Amino acid sequence: MPKIIIDGHTIECRSGIPVLQAALEAGLAVPHYCYHPGLSVVASCRLCLMEMKMPNPKTGQMDWAPKLFPSCQTPVRDGLEVRFRSDPVRENQQHVMEYYLLNHPLDCPVCDKAGECYLQDYTEANGPATSRMVEDKTKNPKKDIGPHTLLYQDRCVLCSRCVRFCDEIAGTGELAVVGRGSRCEIDVLPGQPLENPLQGNVVDLCPVGALLDKGFLFKQRVWLLRSARSVSPADSRGQTIWIDYNEAGIHRIRPRYNEKINEWWISDEARFGWKHVHRPDRLRQPRIRQGVALQPARWEELPGLLRAPFAGVAACASPAGPGGGARLAQPPSLLGRGQGEGQGIGPLAAVLSPMLTCEEAWLLAKLARSLAPQATLVLGHVPVSGHDQTYPNGFTIKAEKCPNRRGVETILQHLGGPTASFQEFLAQAVEGRFRAAYVTGGYPDAWVTDPVAAALARIPFLVVHDLFPSALDGAAAVQIPGAAWTEREGTFMNCDGLLQPFERALPPLEGVKADGQFFYELLGQPGLFRAQTVRETMAAELPQFSEVFIPRDLPKRAH
Amino acid sequence: MSWRTIDRRTAAEQDLGPGLNDAVKEKIRSFFPRYPTKRAVLLPALHIAQDALGYISLRAMRELAELLELPPSAVLDVVTFYTHFWTHSRGRKTIVLCRSLTCELMGGGRVREGLEQRLGIGEHETTPDGQWSYMTEECLAACEHAPCLLINEKLHKGVQAEDLDRILVDPENDHLDMPRSTLFDAPAETKP
Ligand code: SF4
Ligand code: FES
Ligand code: FES
Repeated sequence: MPKIIIDGHTIECRSGIPVLQAALEAGLAVPHYCYHPGLSVVASCRLCLMEMKMPNPKTGQMDWAPKLFPSCQTPVRDGLEVRFRSDPVRENQQHVMEYYLLNHPLDCPVCDKAGECYLQDYTEANGPATSRMVEDKTKNPKKDIGPHTLLYQDRCVLCSRCVRFCDEIAGTGELAVVGRGSRCEIDVLPGQPLENPLQGNVVDLCPVGALLDKGFLFKQRVWLLRSARSVSPADSRGQTIWIDYNEAGIHRIRPRYNEKINEWWISDEARFGWKHVHRPDRLRQPRIRQGVALQPARWEELPGLLRAPFAGVAACASPAGPGGGARLAQPPSLLGRGQGEGQGIGPLAAVLSPMLTCEEAWLLAKLARSLAPQATLVLGHVPVSGHDQTYPNGFTIKAEKCPNRRGVETILQHLGGPTASFQEFLAQAVEGRFRAAYVTGGYPDAWVTDPVAAALARIPFLVVHDLFPSALDGAAAVQIPGAAWTEREGTFMNCDGLLQPFERALPPLEGVKADGQFFYELLGQPGLFRAQTVRETMAAELPQFSEVFIPRDLPKRAH
Repeated sequence: MSWRTIDRRTAAEQDLGPGLNDAVKEKIRSFFPRYPTKRAVLLPALHIAQDALGYISLRAMRELAELLELPPSAVLDVVTFYTHFWTHSRGRKTIVLCRSLTCELMGGGRVREGLEQRLGIGEHETTPDGQWSYMTEECLAACEHAPCLLINEKLHKGVQAEDLDRILVDPENDHLDMPRSTLFDAPAETKP
């Protein structure tokens, strides 16, 4: 690892990185706009300039060179000596900041970016906040450049990050710098808007308030938001995200750097895939079938209501009686002679949705097997849409639109015994092999197709644990409202077997219990469900769960 | 002006303007072997397109992008970098007036006022009869003859406001120094 000297301090840094990156990683606050570690280096903003020691041609001695150098374009090399704390460097920063403010409107009070804007920050730290220019500022209209994005042209500092992102990462090249010199603007060719599946990233990239997200526009001031470390359920790759939220709910999702998966970016599916959490039709109360209708029930009744019929089905000794009955008070009446018996398939099934966390899937599987050692464990419906899409720099959007198929599979494999794919389960259900089933959903979109509903309707005692009403409502004996992933904690195992934890952002909706907590209670465990504690018990049996991957944090002053 | 929003997502059919015909496209293709990449053909292609259409229409930009396998915005980027390329239709004759220091010192400002008064148009506008368009340019590289202006390809030197009447009807205005290069054709007669 090369050692370089910055402002008299020797620091050790990764080789092959620019001095600017090394300085940021060492915790220094070096202003910069155009440099982004994920994009090509253009050295156009001139904010990151530094002084550098070079051999003086006259004396041959190492001396401070008379001109400044862009630290973003100077690779580190052993023994390099540079300084940022010097008058020429400070003066350059002041001049450049004053230049940036020449035409920039001072409209921070109505700008979404205020509070996380690097023009604000750098002006406060380095530059004069007032301008000596008395002439009129250039005033440009806003541009509607895409379905999600507005461009406030007059706030742009022309760092060209957004343009490079579209060229290098998305590979779609919708954005361009048009015009020349002080007339430069960012634009699209009219009629060819910014609408690639990664478009949302340009808003995060923009160091000022020029590119803004239409969905977030004028909704919140950023200093009123808190951020939770989460993992996106949008696809099976496990993109890591920040959920920005407050007591009013979620307001936006931003990428959380992840050197192994999504780096600095996320797909639009991950970014905008949280709206269902606040859908008004979410299930908010457990309900049980009484007569024909589902009637509200209390959470406290559920363990008793569920355990008894399940245990009864499992025991499966007595002959069949007619189904139904008041308040499910006679569990044995639900029993029939399981037709699957003798073929190794228990009459009880637990469908583990790939939307569940590993811990939840584990608890539910354990629960099913504790009630019936021959219970069939089923990997729930795995939504797939289209094909995997890979972008020029390797960013991939998976066709599999769920976060934890691999985690559930790992658990099923480990537990062994009767297991089934969702298709096999449906086929067996149609044949009437199951007397009782616990089905988990949790998908953001409607997933119960007619064949699914028809097959599940054949199960006499059907428990549906899901987010939204569906065609299963008519067949369910018990309906349990699920919590969205933002309201739970746990781990997802991505398609490559990487186990990533995420934290809870919001409390579960009023009237709803977090899935893990509920399974915990069903299992008769005392106290609160803690994902980590459960994971530790899992790890004792299954080494795959002993280590989680947590991406490293970005340097504080980097952006 | 951020209270105003302009729509860049859609482009109406009538705003796309004329497209390139097959002969023009073929001409552009004939340049491919001369350059290491198709992208590198963009500049000659723009000259050819502007010679054919009088300007680079949105439709032409799209077609060029397709021809050269570039994102359309990359064509827009280059077109707008050079003031030589027009992005809207022009009159029959284009006047390019120098606005740089030497010409300004030698009375270029008065020439500009005179011109705008006579034609009744501003920069990048076209007279209603479709005869004249005009623009200013940073330096025509003829500072020794300041103030100066170009009409099409004819350079008028040492122009004073009083000379405008004479200059505008100068038959030399239509003169082209051909062949400018064996690679290019003469610009087509442009119709507004
Ligand atoms: S819009 Fe933002 S990201 Fe794009 S060039 Fe301007 S300041 Fe940079
Ligand atoms: S010039 Fe170095 S960050 Fe812009
Ligand atoms: S300043 Fe006018 S031609 Fe150079």
